[in-house]
Amino acid sequence: MTYLVPQHPLQLVELGAERFSRCFNCGNCTAICPITKEKASYPRKLIRYSLLGMEDKILSSTDPWLCYYCGECSDQCPRDANPGSFMMSLRRYLTTKYDWTGFSKLMYYSKKAEVIAIIVVAAIVGSIIYLLHGPIVETRVELETFAPYLTTEIGALTVLFVLAGILLSNLYRMYRFVMRDENGNRIRVPLGFMIRDFIRIVPLHFLTQIKIKECKDRQKNWINHLIIFYGYAASFILFVPLLKFTQTNDPFLFVNPLSILGIFSTIALLYGASIAIYGRVKKTQPMWKDSHSTDWMFLILLLLTTITGILTGIFRTFGFPLPTYIMYSLHLMIAAPFLILEVPFAKWSHLAYRPFALYFESLKERYLASKR
Amino acid sequence: MSYLPKPVLVIGGGIAGIQAALDLADQGIQVYLVEKTPSIGGKMMQLDKTFPTLDCSACILTPKMVAVARHPNIKLLTYSEVIEVTGSAGNFNVKILKKPRYVDEEKCIGCGICFNKCPSKVPDEFNLGMSQRRAIYVPFPQAVPLKATIDKEHCIYFTKQRCRVCEKVCPTKAINYEQKPETIELNVASIVVATGYQLIDPTLAAQYGYGKYQNVYISLEFERLLSSTGPTGGEIVRRSDNKHPKNIAFIQCVCSRDVKINPNCSAFCCMASVKHSILAKEHLPNVDCTIFYMDLRAFGKGYQEFYNRAMREFGVKFMRGKPAKIEEEPETKNLIITYEDTFTGLKKTMTFDMVVLAVGVKPIYPEALKLPLSEDGYVQLKNQYLDPVLTMIDGVYTVGVAAGAKDIPDSVVQSGNAAIKASILAGGAQK
Repeated sequence: MTYLVPQHPLQLVELGAERFSRCFNCGNCTAICPITKEKASYPRKLIRYSLLGMEDKILSSTDPWLCYYCGECSDQCPRDANPGSFMMSLRRYLTTKYDWTGFSKLMYYSKKAEVIAIIVVAAIVGSIIYLLHGPIVETRVELETFAPYLTTEIGALTVLFVLAGILLSNLYRMYRFVMRDENGNRIRVPLGFMIRDFIRIVPLHFLTQIKIKECKDRQKNWINHLIIFYGYAASFILFVPLLKFTQTNDPFLFVNPLSILGIFSTIALLYGASIAIYGRVKKTQPMWKDSHSTDWMFLILLLLTTITGILTGIFRTFGFPLPTYIMYSLHLMIAAPFLILEVPFAKWSHLAYRPFALYFESLKERYLASKR
Repeated sequence: MSYLPKPVLVIGGGIAGIQAALDLADQGIQVYLVEKTPSIGGKMMQLDKTFPTLDCSACILTPKMVAVARHPNIKLLTYSEVIEVTGSAGNFNVKILKKPRYVDEEKCIGCGICFNKCPSKVPDEFNLGMSQRRAIYVPFPQAVPLKATIDKEHCIYFTKQRCRVCEKVCPTKAINYEQKPETIELNVASIVVATGYQLIDPTLAAQYGYGKYQNVYISLEFERLLSSTGPTGGEIVRRSDNKHPKNIAFIQCVCSRDVKINPNCSAFCCMASVKHSILAKEHLPNVDCTIFYMDLRAFGKGYQEFYNRAMREFGVKFMRGKPAKIEEEPETKNLIITYEDTFTGLKKTMTFDMVVLAVGVKPIYPEALKLPLSEDGYVQLKNQYLDPVLTMIDGVYTVGVAAGAKDIPDSVVQSGNAAIKASILAGGAQK
């Protein structure tokens, strides 16, 4: 039994699939897609489900996470219904559905809420810094004194665990939605398979994102994506678990062996954010043609986080105490909302959903194979 | 009381123009029928059979063409174009450019000796380049008028100042290399525009590889293959190896219903392809025919039955899904179509020996008239419901595909309507 949700297509329109109701269901998009296989056939089928408001079918599908938006379907769509952007909006939609807290929904459906959320988190972080910061030494740069290591690290780890907890619970919701057969009945796979498939699929795809390469002419995109991913991972490792070594008074450039990693991550993030912003402004690629407000927010926060980080480093290196403290506070006030809002509730959650979608897909296939 | 109706001009000598001219002339009205090619007949002449009854197209058209030629009230101006129109309803002044045939129409008897001897070979437009004609030619054997025409661009005398073979062999001394273009001025009461259509360039749908793959055809080419007067004498054979295909795919809506090329439906392709599949089965009983369609539009009288017949009686397969691409197997020159069967939601590939693209149409309209066009690119009608042949210019009527994509029966119906409207202006001036 399927419930029809009449407002479902309208929600997708809000999430960026502005023209998908033009679709007349010809199947050109599915046929042209370089990664669809015989049975995994999309986008047409999903467009059909969405237009009819068959929310269950969409929720139980992992297909949206298998699409990497090469844009072939949108280029050749005879109705200019833009199936590529429809798939993108489905990913946004699913992100809001997997999230149980409601924050995701709030941010995706309302620009105002998104901005307010960022400001509120920034203000909270700002007041915590104001209340808990150490003595301000004005004669020389004393970052360690201004931001006591223990306080910062506890703050960072608290945020990390809360976020990871929320993301994991969202993943569990995704598992519950997805592990259903065609009739909507829950399916189960023996634990042994679950572990084996997890080891086989999740780390590989989490670390390599190799599936992007299956799309047409996407070698360059894949490399760009890896650069951003590893830039982000490196800076995360540097400034969360290794905070003790990186949040120092001394200019850490060229002195600390970690500095090479730091330079790499900074350049990678700056490069990644810049080409993505440039691409979205100039609309150089299909996937950059229809930008949702959350896409912009993500890129702007990423860029600002990186820039304030670089500036903090520069001020520290050249020995300006006050500018260093102010810039570092600003850096935290931007980085915190960026992480808190983006990782579990918005665009960055795809770092979990994409590899897990492949994993769940494989589990479903195992189940279907055992049925046969 | 003396009563002498004014003449009417009909532009375009396809089936729509022919029917309008006959319906006017039969009322005693003088008709000038202008046709830009050397013969009347139009696209219908190129068709092998007509749907839904599978009547021989030429057999039902040629009597009408001959009737036009013999009608005392019709003045046929072939190889001519309207270059200027001034005035208004009831009183149009029209200038017509009669291009030189370089053959004296009075003397030419259409014996064909000249084009058997002419050494210059040219791709034959009538067979869409699949056969050759000579530089002096009649477009097809049943041409009306059956007069030879020299194609100046390919004639050796006009390009290299030598040869003159046709002049030597002509038994009636009809060849005249000195013929000049003539301008004819007419005063007419009304004008019927029946300028028809041209096929959209199939290479615009690049994913189907027309022009790149030898065994990809367009529908009109396939029509010529089916026709006993066609380049193969009615044999369906592949361009690459001259062998009969074992299975044929027909792809609908190529350059039609595609916002990037042409958003309009071309109206007749669905039924034309159903017809092609049936005829292919009649020519080659063991051939497999598959029609790839998005929506099959069987709207006219007897069309649904025709479609059902194709499916049940002839076993034509209908596959709902717009193919995304065609690839060629380099050795066999077979064609691999990738598509989604939208009834099962499965993505598939299938290999065919031959693919026929039902390519869309776009209207042709006389530049001289400056007719306002509607959003879809066809001639704008003043009142689509209650006066479906009147253009935005009073006294100018439009019929056939120039007014909107349609099939032969609908064109003929419109022609009758336009003939009546045009005759009111022609005769109504004096009561």
